[in-house]
Amino acid sequence: MVAALRDVNLEIKPGEFCAFVGPSGCGKSTLLHLVAGLDLPTSGEIVLDGRSTQNLTSAEWTKIRRETIGIVFQAFHLVHGLTAEENIALPLMLRGENGREIAKRVDEMLDRVGMKHRRRHRPAELSGGEQQRIAIARALAHGPRLLLADEPTGNIDSHQGAGIMALIRELATSGGQTVLLVTHSVQAAQAADYVWTMRDGQLVSRTERMTEVVTS
Amino acid sequence: MPAFLRVLFLLLTSHVRQWPLRTLLTIIGVALGVSASVAVRTANVDVLRSFEQAVMTVAGPTTLEVSGGETGFDEQIIARLRTIAGVTSVSPVILQTAVRMTGEQVDQAVQVVGLDLLAEFNTRGFRLSQPATESRLMSMIRPEAVFLGAKLATEWNLSVDDQVDLLMGSRRLICRVAGILRNESDRPSSWERMAVMDIAAAQIAFGMVGKLDRIDIVTDEKKTVEDVAQGLRTVLPPHMTVERPANRTRQVEQMVRAFRLNLTVLSWVGLLVGMFLIYNTMAFAVAQRRRQIGIYRAIGMTQSRVAALFLMEAGLFGFLGGIAGSAAGVVLAQELVALLSRTISDLYAPVSAGEGGLLWTGQFWRITLEGIVIGCVVSMLGAVGPSLDASRTATVRALAPGDYEASQQLRVGMLAVMGVSLLVVTGLLSLPGPIGGVPVSGYAATLSLLAGLACLAPICVTRWPRRRQYMGLEGGMHGVMRGIAVEHASRSPGRNGVTVSALMVGLAIMIGVLVMVRSFRHTVELWVTDTVLADLVVAPSMWLRGTEIGGVGRSLPPTWLHVLSSIPEVAAVDSYRDVRVEVNGQRVAVVSRDLRLHAQWSRYLVRKGDSSEQLIRAADTRGLLVSEVLANRLGVEEGSTLEILTPSGPAQFPIVAVFYDYSTDGGKLLMDRALYQSLWHDDLVTVFPVYLSAGASLDPVRERIIEQLSDAVGGGLPPLVISNTELRKEILDIFDRTFLLTYVLEAIAVVIAMLGIVNTLVTSVLERRREFATLRAIGGGSEQIQQLVLWEAAYLGVVGIGLGLIGGGFLSLLLIKVINKQSFGWTIQMIIPVGALVQAVVLAVIATLVAGYFPARWAARQPVVDGLREE
Repeated sequence: MVAALRDVNLEIKPGEFCAFVGPSGCGKSTLLHLVAGLDLPTSGEIVLDGRSTQNLTSAEWTKIRRETIGIVFQAFHLVHGLTAEENIALPLMLRGENGREIAKRVDEMLDRVGMKHRRRHRPAELSGGEQQRIAIARALAHGPRLLLADEPTGNIDSHQGAGIMALIRELATSGGQTVLLVTHSVQAAQAADYVWTMRDGQLVSRTERMTEVVTS
Repeated sequence: MPAFLRVLFLLLTSHVRQWPLRTLLTIIGVALGVSASVAVRTANVDVLRSFEQAVMTVAGPTTLEVSGGETGFDEQIIARLRTIAGVTSVSPVILQTAVRMTGEQVDQAVQVVGLDLLAEFNTRGFRLSQPATESRLMSMIRPEAVFLGAKLATEWNLSVDDQVDLLMGSRRLICRVAGILRNESDRPSSWERMAVMDIAAAQIAFGMVGKLDRIDIVTDEKKTVEDVAQGLRTVLPPHMTVERPANRTRQVEQMVRAFRLNLTVLSWVGLLVGMFLIYNTMAFAVAQRRRQIGIYRAIGMTQSRVAALFLMEAGLFGFLGGIAGSAAGVVLAQELVALLSRTISDLYAPVSAGEGGLLWTGQFWRITLEGIVIGCVVSMLGAVGPSLDASRTATVRALAPGDYEASQQLRVGMLAVMGVSLLVVTGLLSLPGPIGGVPVSGYAATLSLLAGLACLAPICVTRWPRRRQYMGLEGGMHGVMRGIAVEHASRSPGRNGVTVSALMVGLAIMIGVLVMVRSFRHTVELWVTDTVLADLVVAPSMWLRGTEIGGVGRSLPPTWLHVLSSIPEVAAVDSYRDVRVEVNGQRVAVVSRDLRLHAQWSRYLVRKGDSSEQLIRAADTRGLLVSEVLANRLGVEEGSTLEILTPSGPAQFPIVAVFYDYSTDGGKLLMDRALYQSLWHDDLVTVFPVYLSAGASLDPVRERIIEQLSDAVGGGLPPLVISNTELRKEILDIFDRTFLLTYVLEAIAVVIAMLGIVNTLVTSVLERRREFATLRAIGGGSEQIQQLVLWEAAYLGVVGIGLGLIGGGFLSLLLIKVINKQSFGWTIQMIIPVGALVQAVVLAVIATLVAGYFPARWAARQPVVDGLREE
């Protein structure tokens, strides 16, 4: 068995914007998956909101994700068959919210990510940057307290990438969300309050409000 | 191993390893289709083969057989036959059936052959286990002496000198086992399951003193058999026939041809549905490996080899499915043989179930080979489309990210046009008549109908949801899940169209056959209600066993008429005689009864005019009523005349009326009893329909009849006294038994269609692991993923069931108005069995959801992280 993470001990305070950088295979994404409950640690403990997640069932993790966590993926992971607004509405529907509330919230999110004019378009009809905006809107639609962003700029050009990072930063700050960002991009990491560098499954160093990170 | 085969092997094994479940499902589907087809074919062959074997075994060296119909003929004829040039030997034969009355095998029937044992114990292919000493020879011809075939004796647990209680005709006799018949040849012989008596003993036992069933003739090798036959005909009465033994097999084959053909065609349905399954699997394999195909092409594989790769993969599935299907088919066939021989005996002629025990015999290996060939051919045919599609892959597009379904979208419209055209062709194909009695264009119309609807399936999958605003925020949780499911299903019209088609074909055939059978049953019920009006029927004790029981066992003495008429509560008694005779080369039932009495108490469903009036007219004019089936077959109608060779010579009969009859598809003639007796010199009665006076209660009369007749039976079994209700039930029971096999074959086709749904959903789940993982990541629960897959199953089910209902409706019309009419000649009144249709639909919905449940459960349990990594 290969240990993806070893001796990772850290605390992230509410409202912080923390980035993790490091080479491929260093365990950044695994860390994110563990925090989201998508993967379970073989040992160790993740505490969310002061509550241990050690003995949570799959259904309890689902509930936490539905209420507390929003995730943005590198590959966007929008549902192909749904329009932009339907994708944003999805987590709200999964929570069982009523139609009027959902419509209001979707409108608001579309407005905040600047995609109102593309609301009825399907993912295939949107550019990479536009898809990621919709994905961010979807991740934040239900007002999560924790936003996990896994290489959000990995599949888009640097110009659009800067816009996406600015958007995440702006939305997170205004919403008071805690953000965990995993990225290869120095430019993207600059949006964070501080940056953890990882190598071989371990946290190597922490840089405050970084200006330069070696990602080798 | 050639390089290409090595590559093929490598790619095949990798695919099988990658998708073991799909591979297994596909092989099971093919195996089921093959098993149904193999089983029906084997059972069909086995039943007739056992009949043929029995005929040829008993015939021995016989080259010609002289027979005179069911009632037997005068044995004096033998003397005349001996005078004909070219006749080497003349042997009298009695051929009847006995039923065991006691012991573990009570009620089992055995064919009894009466032969001149002193002359023939050495010539017929059996030897007796007893030494042929003089005293033994004398014991052979004792009236109660019976020789049993070796296998029969073992099964009945009897040995020489044991006693056996047999019902022979209407008499019950305690016989003594005088010896055991051993097979002389290496080949299986029917003697091993028969009983033999001396001719005189058999004549006494079956009440046929002075009569014979058949005369077997060995002709001189120097003369042609046909010349001798001509000579024999010159000295025989016209109603008697001279034919080669093999002709009898051909006659039975001819009789049951339509029945067997329809069964065989139905057994192919499983293969047809299996073909859809293979198409589906291979289409998925092509879509899944599109990029790989691009790589193969880029590194130099030719188009034909790409096609061969997929064709051979399908061939492998067919090969494995063929092996499994043949084995299952042989097992199934052993069950079917009993059912089939019972049905053929009920409806046509007495045949016995074969020997069974096919496993590991030469025939087993032949069947297996056949099954493998069928499996391979069907699979490779099903894979032709996807294989061609694979071979035409544009390398650059395949290597670049892209969706080949987009190009299929273009074909959806074209397919729809083709579908509509095929439906028009279906209409045209339903118009022409049969070819050689086979509804060829009717079968072609069925195929065209199913193909037409299959072509329409993709457009129904893809266009249906887009017509309306199916999704939206107002739909809530269920709305969005439903929306995603429908959208996803409609995004793959090619693959889902095939699944829907498979379900449609299975369901259409199920509904088509269901409507046909129910309509047929309804028609028979109406016919029974309208025509079977006697309160009681007095019949021979084994009458309900149909033709199995032999001619003598199906007759009663005419003197019983007086006994029955003398019972005070009995208002009228009819004497009904039913014998089989040959008319214009067709074996038909000649029914005679008191037509005037019948006109007063009951009726026939005549095509034109009033039943009573025509029955009386037929009695007055020495005319006939002819069943619809026979009228169609002989090309006669009301007002025509018909010539029949009777024992009194050829006679012309005016046809007074044509009536609907569903008791036999061989055709029926009805004439007045007096006319029949004067021409056939047969005063026996098959059954006595009894009409009671108003207010008489049934059970006391029934008891009185049994009581009064007990003296008359002379030690034999008391007759059956069946009430009207019981008789109607029996007729419908025979009907239901006949169609039992149909239901089994239908069920197999539906199961294969369900495998198609599982197959598609598994594919869908595999393809959408990332989507499901995303939903889980943004807060979707596993139960919601399950719901999503179930919605997709439901959507495909709804489209398939919708098309299946349409197809089933049209198919039932084809079956009733074209195929059945042309095969059997029956007019069936079509009804819509709403209850049964609702049941069929509910069954299909449940089956669809069950088929969806397992992939849904599997989807919900997949690790989220793995799914998110999927590309």
